[in-house]
Amino acid sequence: MEKLLEILEDCCPDVDFAAEKNLIDNGILESLDIVMIVNELAQQYDVRIGVENLVPENFNSAEAILALLERLQGEE
Amino acid sequence: MSVNDLQFLGFVLLSVLLYYLIPGKYRWIVLLTASGIFYLSNGVTAALYMGATVILTYTAGRILDKIVNIKPAGNTPEEKKRQKTRLKHRKYAVLAISLVLNFSTLAVLKYSGFFAQTVNAAAGYDLLPIPSFLLPLGISFYIFQTSGYLMDVQRGKYPAERNFAKYTLFVCYFPQLVQGPINRYDALRAPLFDGNTLDYTNIQAGILRMMLGILKKAMIADVLAPFVETVYAGYGNYPGILSFLAAALYCLQLYCDFSGGVDLLCGVSRLFGVPMAENFEQPYFSTSLADFWRRWHISLGEWMKDYLFYPLAFSPALAKLTKKAKGRLPAEIVKRITPCICTFVVFLAVGIWQGPGWANIAYGLWNGIWMSLGLLWIPFAAKHKDKLPKNTIFLTLWGIFRTNLLVIIGRYLSHAHGASLSMALGMLAHTVVSPGFAAVNSGMLAELGLGAGKILQVTIALAVLFCISLAKEKGVDLRAWFCSRRWYVQFVLLFVGLLLIVLGVYGNDAYTPIAYVYENI
Repeated sequence: MEKLLEILEDCCPDVDFAAEKNLIDNGILESLDIVMIVNELAQQYDVRIGVENLVPENFNSAEAILALLERLQGEE
Repeated sequence: MSVNDLQFLGFVLLSVLLYYLIPGKYRWIVLLTASGIFYLSNGVTAALYMGATVILTYTAGRILDKIVNIKPAGNTPEEKKRQKTRLKHRKYAVLAISLVLNFSTLAVLKYSGFFAQTVNAAAGYDLLPIPSFLLPLGISFYIFQTSGYLMDVQRGKYPAERNFAKYTLFVCYFPQLVQGPINRYDALRAPLFDGNTLDYTNIQAGILRMMLGILKKAMIADVLAPFVETVYAGYGNYPGILSFLAAALYCLQLYCDFSGGVDLLCGVSRLFGVPMAENFEQPYFSTSLADFWRRWHISLGEWMKDYLFYPLAFSPALAKLTKKAKGRLPAEIVKRITPCICTFVVFLAVGIWQGPGWANIAYGLWNGIWMSLGLLWIPFAAKHKDKLPKNTIFLTLWGIFRTNLLVIIGRYLSHAHGASLSMALGMLAHTVVSPGFAAVNSGMLAELGLGAGKILQVTIALAVLFCISLAKEKGVDLRAWFCSRRWYVQFVLLFVGLLLIVLGVYGNDAYTPIAYVYENI
């Protein structure tokens, strides 16, 4: 989780990823932030995050993002 | 049948009555019949084009749905993986073929003339005949809507609609046909097909929304249109400052025309209890161009984001490019390469969507360049955040002024009916080189269709619209406030509102309804 939080905070320094649980629903992350985050995660975790994974449930919190990454790594 | 005339209001009234008179489970059939009548009244050829789109996308949706639901079979994990890959390729092939076919109707009808003209200009002689087609009503909107549906089904977001008649209704539902919004199937499915019960709130909200739409369209957009059209058509005959005034007023005209039309038709849809996607959110209060595009034509922006921006952003080609740039460029720039390229492409697409012509492409580039520069500016601004002044009213007003200036300059390029790049650039140069402030007088404005009476009418209507917009911006729910008044207060307010609109519109002999700007794009 620490590694993930570090990557997320590097992409969007103004967002409190550890505390925030509605990143998408509350409009905290925008499409441009999501692209930066997804590209960075794809490289760091060596997974392919497709457009079909871009649903609010997968990006609303750091925990949800981690769960998505673990799921994708399991599928690879 | 035009949305502008009283015949349309009669048609809506009759449809609403029939809708609530018949049993719930058959109500969608009333909507389908009404939509069929409305579209056929606009021409049989247009209906045939739409029919082709419905058949194509319905069939493709069903095929995609079948592929999505096939469970990969195989005795070993490798076999399963191979089967999964095969299914994925098949899915992408069906999607690609159906999207190409779907967009080709739009491409041929809307852009083939421009393509032939460009080829002929490059060749130096008439190599290709220049075709000219009448665009079917709302074609850009329903092609985008059906393409979005196919991509959602392919992504497994929802199953394809099995009932052909219901799918037809999703595509040809008449309130969305004139100029959008571009609705999503998952949002429209339940209210459209489930048979809504008569709800006083829906009727009240629908009527209020329709009144707002009429106020914008008839009392502002159509009053400004003659002035704007005349100046754009012959800008060289007038002082340059009038070109700027025309571009600025075109911003207001376009907003009131487009959002007014959407308000009217969202109001109509609400009478049936069907809420449609929102398309505008006080765009001229935006403090940056990015903010403006989040508030202007929202359903197109959302479409572009989901079906063009994201797929492009996550494409292997851009991932490779980002990888290559790592270590060669500063990290902050590397991070923004993908968003910048995608933003640029999206705005180019928005420009092309506006219509054929180099001026529209230039309009797309104009927005794309500023938006991409804005993205690159973010890390710089973040570094110097402490040195910049804190957020104040002055900064907000400065942001609004700066944004609107960029939007107005963009509107020199995007004028819907006269989209010629040389004309737009000539008009821009004329504004700067010979503004001629001293030559402008009230007589000149009156000759151009903006006499004192018209100015007063537009000013009053704009003041009302400004108050409504400001209240919305501040989060005040005007409809809730209105609904909480006693019935006779509501009646008086509605009566005064209607009286103002009727006097404003019909008290003026010269008023002639003008077709919606985005009706045939």
